[in-house]
Amino acid sequence: MAFRFIHSSDLHIGKKFGTIPQPADGNIRGRLMEARHSAIARLAAAARDHGAAHILLAGDTFDTATPSPSVIRQALAAMGEATEVTWWILPGNHDNLREAEPLWDTIRRDGPPNVVALDTGEPRDLGGAALLPCPVEYRANASDLTEPLVRMPSPEGALRIGLAHGGVTDFNETGASISPDRDRSARLDYLALGDWHGRMSVSERVQFSGSPEQDQFKHDRRGVCLAVQIDGPGAAPQMCEVETGTFLWREVPLPLHRGQDCAAALAAVLPASGRRDILMRVAARGWAGLADQAALGKAAQGHAPEFAHFDLDTSALGTEYDTADLDAIDRGGALRLAADALMAEAESDTRPKEDKDIAAAALARLYAYVREAAE
Amino acid sequence: MKIRSIRLENVRRFTDPVRVDRIGDGLNVLCEPNEHGKSTLFDALQAVFFKAHGSRDKDINALRPHAGGAPEVSVDIETGAGLFTVTKRWLQKPVATVHRGDTLVAQSDAAEAWVSDLLGGDAGGPSGLIWVRQGMTGLTGGSKKEQDAALEARRDLMTSVGEEVEAMTGGRRMDAALARCREELANYATGTGRPKANGPWKEAQDHVSALGETRDALAATARDLQEALAERIRARRDLAEWEAPEAVADRRERLEAARMAHQAAERHAEQVAAAARKVEMAQLTVDNIGERLKTARLARAEQSEAAQRTADAEAVAKRTRTEIEAARVARDQAEIALKQTAERLERAEAARSVSLRAQAARDGAERRADLEARIARAETLRQSVEKAQAASGIGPDTAILRTLEARAAAHAAAIAARDAGAPQLVARYDAGRTGTIRIGGAALDDGIAMPLPRMTTLEIEGIGTLDVHPGDSARDDAVSMAAKAYRRALEDAGTETLEDARKAAAARAEAERQLGEAKAALAGVAPDGITKLREALAAIPQPEDAHDQASDPVDAEAEVERARAENNAAQIVRETANERLADAREAATGAETMRSSLLERLKRAEDVLTRLGETGSEDALALQYKAALAALEAAQSAHAEQAAQAPDLANTAAALARADSVEKRAREEVARLRPLVARLDERISRSSGDAVEERLAETEDALVAAQADLDRIEKEVAVLLRLQSALESARNDARERYFAPIAQELKPLLHLLWPEAELTWGEESLLPDALVRDGQTEAIDVLSGGTQEQVALLVRLAFARMLATADRSAPVILDDALVYTDDDRIERMFDALHRQASDLQIIVLTCRQRAFRNLGGNALRLAR
Repeated sequence: MAFRFIHSSDLHIGKKFGTIPQPADGNIRGRLMEARHSAIARLAAAARDHGAAHILLAGDTFDTATPSPSVIRQALAAMGEATEVTWWILPGNHDNLREAEPLWDTIRRDGPPNVVALDTGEPRDLGGAALLPCPVEYRANASDLTEPLVRMPSPEGALRIGLAHGGVTDFNETGASISPDRDRSARLDYLALGDWHGRMSVSERVQFSGSPEQDQFKHDRRGVCLAVQIDGPGAAPQMCEVETGTFLWREVPLPLHRGQDCAAALAAVLPASGRRDILMRVAARGWAGLADQAALGKAAQGHAPEFAHFDLDTSALGTEYDTADLDAIDRGGALRLAADALMAEAESDTRPKEDKDIAAAALARLYAYVREAAE
Repeated sequence: MKIRSIRLENVRRFTDPVRVDRIGDGLNVLCEPNEHGKSTLFDALQAVFFKAHGSRDKDINALRPHAGGAPEVSVDIETGAGLFTVTKRWLQKPVATVHRGDTLVAQSDAAEAWVSDLLGGDAGGPSGLIWVRQGMTGLTGGSKKEQDAALEARRDLMTSVGEEVEAMTGGRRMDAALARCREELANYATGTGRPKANGPWKEAQDHVSALGETRDALAATARDLQEALAERIRARRDLAEWEAPEAVADRRERLEAARMAHQAAERHAEQVAAAARKVEMAQLTVDNIGERLKTARLARAEQSEAAQRTADAEAVAKRTRTEIEAARVARDQAEIALKQTAERLERAEAARSVSLRAQAARDGAERRADLEARIARAETLRQSVEKAQAASGIGPDTAILRTLEARAAAHAAAIAARDAGAPQLVARYDAGRTGTIRIGGAALDDGIAMPLPRMTTLEIEGIGTLDVHPGDSARDDAVSMAAKAYRRALEDAGTETLEDARKAAAARAEAERQLGEAKAALAGVAPDGITKLREALAAIPQPEDAHDQASDPVDAEAEVERARAENNAAQIVRETANERLADAREAATGAETMRSSLLERLKRAEDVLTRLGETGSEDALALQYKAALAALEAAQSAHAEQAAQAPDLANTAAALARADSVEKRAREEVARLRPLVARLDERISRSSGDAVEERLAETEDALVAAQADLDRIEKEVAVLLRLQSALESARNDARERYFAPIAQELKPLLHLLWPEAELTWGEESLLPDALVRDGQTEAIDVLSGGTQEQVALLVRLAFARMLATADRSAPVILDDALVYTDDDRIERMFDALHRQASDLQIIVLTCRQRAFRNLGGNALRLAR
């Protein structure tokens, strides 16, 4: 009989999003936090929909080692309410065993019966499948934590499902990355991984589910979880991505060139609907004149309030000056003198970049003042 | 243009026409007292150039005389096109005409247009700019309208040589941009560019630092929590290890075993100690008996040796006593012999003495007679010496006599000298009258010169006395001094005259010669004196009677020698006998001492033997000693055996102590760890309940955001500062450029008064607003009245020059423009006027007749 379960990771419950600027009349941080909590209910719903009795969370369920009591209790309560599933929670690096010891104590002591803290590397019986956990002991590890899977026993005829947290690419050469062929070396039917927030398939049996609710402009899609079905030992797992994310973190480039209608160009790259649940970052680049830049800024100001978060990044956008821009400031006289001086400084080859940037910004500001006064 | 003449009719007090003619090219001065119509002239000029003939405003009405009438002003003007006459009449039959000679060039509005054109179009022209009403010594003044007109005129003029001031300095647009920039900047920063209190910049800074502090505090708390967690794990592990049941049982068994082993070792050690004490006892017994045995053997040897030697000593003592007796007999005999020889020596010496004295008496008889004769002769000679000696002391000696003779010669020389220099008196008596003149009773000789060294009284017989005073008496003093010395020498010689002295000296020399002879004779008889002779005589013995029986001295001497030899020998014999006696006594004492000490030794040895004899014989002692030695050997071997088998007590004690300390340590550790774990539990539950990591993560996020905010604000401030400085410096540059032409014209004039001085310009008023001298900036309105009017005048002259340059030259008209200027400064102002007058027409109206006398220029008159 086929074995079904839900694979998810990196819920980061309790993440505060302090770097997201919160407008005076908005509540974006609260909404983002709430979305993370509600991922629990979405995962439970996904389990129900796919007939899965087990939800495997591959680490970083909580954002910090010591979440506030309400964050812990409410999360545990939400899990406990999904009585038809069992939650298998693996310590990740954020909620590692050592630093988050009180957290795991709390879960063991006060958690509902259908929540299991995988705080040891002992195989667990899921009924037809052996769950082989690799809990994270320390925040930074120097070895491949899936190594013990090779020798971990499992009942004859049961599926071997590994659960681990960590990257498969050794970015900083600590030797702590997970071997990509661990499924073969440890005879696994499936290796459920966490840590990478985007969905990623390493190999047929080695999968990152990604976070069910995104928290950065990196993956350009809403968070998903994996509904996995394995028909028997050795059978290829069948994965189904179930969208669980509320917010879309979207970053789009906005290439501009001289004379372009910046406002129109901006409108073209923005989604037409669902803006309230979209965090938008527009990275303008290329070149624009002073007037175009003013128009772009104004258009951005018009769109911004519709989005959950809106950020127009013009740091890579160069300013082109022409006589018309300067003429718009003044054709002669002191204002023109000032504008000429600022432009000369902005385009100087010898000044440091900060000075040039400041001079360019000062020129743009002068342009804005003059235009503002003219209107 | 230049004004050549002015004619007024029906203007204020001038109801009758008045003229000012012959107005020259350069500097013209109309110097009149007050109330003579200078200002009327000025106003008339203003009116003719700027008031339309149709005007009826208050300025025109003000020109009207009290008596009424139509004011009429006519001005001859020379332009490049020739000489024109402009005439205007107002109020009644108003008219405006321009004539060239007799030809009417224009009239009415055409004439007004002509005038306006002449002044440079629509602009205000020279009025207010270079035409200055009486008393307007400052740069500004007059009515609002006049000021506006003057500003317009300045603006027009400056713009005509440069650009529009507005265009140049950016005008309102620049002001608006700068104000906007400053307004935004003021939101963030103070005037000095520091963050403004309660401003967003300061708030962002405070926010960053507050968050930084919170972050650090939370990080510290989080670190504490992590440390507590790590410590709790260690403590729990340690506690579990200490309290594990098998560990507890193991520790207890080890402790018990160590204790048993140590007790056994202690018991064995006691047994060893008992055996050792037995060995010691046996050793003592051996030593004791051995000692007694040794003593007995020594005492017996001593006893036999002492007995032997005592017998020998007795024999020696006996022999020495006999020897003493013999020595004493020999000594007594020697004493007797000595006494006999001494007596014989005494007798022999007495006989020798008698014999010697008899011999001496015989030898002295002849020498006695000789000595007695020499003594008698010496006595006689001594009496002769004494007599001669007495004679030789009488009379002067040779030295005294020589002195006396020298003094006598000096005295005679002094008298001669005096008489030679003194007045001389020569008497030549008449016959029969010789000697009738006397001096001191002596008659004056006839014909012989008589010196008169001192006052002399001549007694002239039958006549009386005649006193002669010779005068100088110095030579007389010399004579009296010489006479005095001569007398003293005579006294020394003891004679009355020189002759006596010579005789006495001869007698003395004779006596001295006799004394020498007597002394020589005496020395021959008694070379050592008479006393010595008498002593020699006394030393010769008187012959005695006994001497006759005396023996021969040689025999007596031989007898003495013999007796002395005998005596000496007897003395040696006695000394020897004495020494022998002493030796014998000493030997006897030594023998006696030896004997008694030997007796003592013998007694001691016998005592020891007696004492030992009480406990048993020597043989018994030897047997006892052997038995004690055997007992000692047995005890020693028993002890050695026990000691070899003994366990190491130190080892067992150390093992016990270690087992004990392990147990103790275990108890202590458990006692320490249990509360430690409890404390850590408490700390951890508190910190984790506070969600410290969660808050730390949140604070770090917030700090990043706040820092980004601060960076943005700082960049914003930098941008605004940069923009502000760009705008300000551009405007300053533009302003300088705008005012450059007027500054150029003004510079040489200004430097006439103040070398290196400069003016700064207000861009609103288009007038100087400050004077810069020696690096000091002074606002114009705080300068003294004199300085203000000087600046104003110079500025006007510069404007006039600019007008001329713009081909719109107009006369400069100054109506009492220098009121406060002192005499020194006024000269320099005159220089300035003359400098400008070279190519400008300047008309100066003044009432300061005296002060302006030195101005020079062309003098004008108001002529009726």
